[in-house]
Amino acid sequence: MRRRALLQSIAGAFVARPLVDLQAASQTPVAAPDLSAANVAALHAVAEVVLPASIGEPPRRDAVEKFVAWVRNYKAGADRGHGYGASTLSAPTGPSPALQYPAQFAALDAQASSQGAVSFAALALDQRRAVIETLLNTPQPVNRLPARPTGANLIADLMGFYFTGADAQNLAYNAEINRDSCRSLDGSDRAPAPLGGGRG
Amino acid sequence: MARYEADVVIIGGGITAAMVAQKLRELRPQASVIVVEAGKRLFDFENRFEYRQRNLDYGENHWPGDFISDQNARGIISRTQAVGGSALHWGGVCNRFSEEDTRLKSMYGLAVDWPIEWADLEKHYCEAERRLGVSGEPSPLKEDWRSEPYPMPAMTSTFNLKELKTWAEQSGIPFWTTPQAKNTVDGYGGRGKCRRCNTCEICPTGARYSPDWTFKQLLDLNRAGDGAATKFQLHDQTLIRRLVLDPSTPRIAAATGAREDGGDDNVEYRASTFVLASGYTWSPHLLLASANSRFPNGLANSSDHVGRYMTGHLAFQTTIDLNLKIYPGMNEQHSLISRQFFRCRPDQPYVRHDLRVWENAGGRAPSMRDRSGKLLLGDALIADWRTRLTRGTARVRGYFDVHPDKDSRLTLDPANKNRWGDPMPVVQHRTDAATQARTAATRQHFEQLFAQLAKANDGRMGNVSGLNYQDHPAGGCRMGTDPSTSVVDSHGRTHDHENLFVVGSPTMPTGGCTNGTLTFVALALRSAAQIAGF
Repeated sequence: MRRRALLQSIAGAFVARPLVDLQAASQTPVAAPDLSAANVAALHAVAEVVLPASIGEPPRRDAVEKFVAWVRNYKAGADRGHGYGASTLSAPTGPSPALQYPAQFAALDAQASSQGAVSFAALALDQRRAVIETLLNTPQPVNRLPARPTGANLIADLMGFYFTGADAQNLAYNAEINRDSCRSLDGSDRAPAPLGGGRG
Repeated sequence: MARYEADVVIIGGGITAAMVAQKLRELRPQASVIVVEAGKRLFDFENRFEYRQRNLDYGENHWPGDFISDQNARGIISRTQAVGGSALHWGGVCNRFSEEDTRLKSMYGLAVDWPIEWADLEKHYCEAERRLGVSGEPSPLKEDWRSEPYPMPAMTSTFNLKELKTWAEQSGIPFWTTPQAKNTVDGYGGRGKCRRCNTCEICPTGARYSPDWTFKQLLDLNRAGDGAATKFQLHDQTLIRRLVLDPSTPRIAAATGAREDGGDDNVEYRASTFVLASGYTWSPHLLLASANSRFPNGLANSSDHVGRYMTGHLAFQTTIDLNLKIYPGMNEQHSLISRQFFRCRPDQPYVRHDLRVWENAGGRAPSMRDRSGKLLLGDALIADWRTRLTRGTARVRGYFDVHPDKDSRLTLDPANKNRWGDPMPVVQHRTDAATQARTAATRQHFEQLFAQLAKANDGRMGNVSGLNYQDHPAGGCRMGTDPSTSVVDSHGRTHDHENLFVVGSPTMPTGGCTNGTLTFVALALRSAAQIAGF
């Protein structure tokens, strides 16, 4: 009972907070806290559960490092231009999603502490999975992979970052599509080569 | 006030301005030409990879600052105001219109005929294709004859497009690849070869033509001191607010405006010839905003046709789930086209349109949960995703011909003013009665056509939707031989002012049924010869 109550309490940290006014953010962007080494370790521990094991450890670590780089290079209040077919300008980028992460990292570690571990990363894989499933199922289920991190749920953010990316698409199709890369026209009349070499 | 004088002043810095300036320099190398653009120049080609990446990663504007926040119009479809204009974002599609577009009245009793012979326009299409650098595959239809081959071989048809072509042609409709202003040969126009970056709206390699290339080349010629030194000038961040009449003749004496960093009316340009190359919105807007006691309804507007017959085309589109495997992302912006429906027999219900097919990732996205709602993590998510990848998706769209009503208008909006107090334009498209009368039949035609395509491969057609705006907008200063029903002649010279030209999209009486940019450019190049005095 105590365990369930605690999980519900930490789940509250993963509920989306109202974002501050976008216009205000563009004028006075709030500096997002940098991700600490402990935060990055926690992300690796999350990734071990939510990213495909089949890709192996180096690509999984690479995915986390790209996510960390994305968070660190985020610019609040950036020009987002204007969509085709629209006579209005798009609102600038909002506050960094990372503003919402400290409470979520703290909640993960609080859960670990309740189970006698010094940090979330120190939990066994099954224990981490249980925590993560709870945080994606309660209090409101996360049903969609975010196309870009939003800050509402850092686990979903990491998943969305990877699974909506070009590497995951290659994996799903088992093909070197590399949709976000600039590639030669040569050979594009053939099916992309399967992952790991050879041509399909 | 800063004063400048030139033989020709071109107002607007988009694709038609670039083409006119380039051709003028060739035809009259000693003539001085000033291009005046309200927006800024974005010539930092070296940063394009970074802009592209930040757009992919964060959704940031890939052309940072390519707009003027208070130079805003209701009803427009693009806010771009920068050197290069909307063609900065252009996908590079270079479809030609067809002869039917120029002879609607005489062939179908609809709208008006253009005051141009098709053979004349075709010659300028060839010139436009050379200058832009178009790679293409000739249409197999004899009606689509060409007097010159495409300058470059067609873009490679990807595995996906080959699969889609095989499917689409099973319906009995011929398809081929869409011509594009993208290099398939390294070095054409001083630009690199396409590398399939999938982000044609900002081409980091320069393979897709954009007007900044032409302007930079013209400025480089100045620096090279080839005898025409400093004959070409580009003044960006300078908004022309008024055209000023000569006090005793109907000639235009000056263009006045303001620099971004200056006060009211702090720039004046004098020239023998003025060219309005500001697109379908800002060209008629400037004419209306330049009203005076002698032309109280606006310059070039004794016919009351400035800002009327605003045109474009509409579209129906759908996605079709197909029994074939493709790999979305191989070259997403390359497509197939059929021009089979550009023609319509006069004894049949009128519907004319293009037909395009793209690879698409619709319905193939990863999902957080399976169909039962169970959470998916790691390899389970990939396994679930793979169950949706055994089939493929095509996006299918047809732009169809609609004709403008006289009250399809651009007007000045006194409730919306820029920082200078100038009323901004509002564009309200309205199709003519004949177009409205055939709306239901047009939709039915597309639904049957899409169903025919789907049926060719055990396909499942999605919802058929229509555009809620007119694409590739044009008009507002339409050309014609009768000064009482048009604003300019076939070369873009205004009927009211012998030294004032309007070029490109505003001069078009009707908007055709396919992408308009190549036609805008061809018309502008035809005007350029006249402007040069040839």
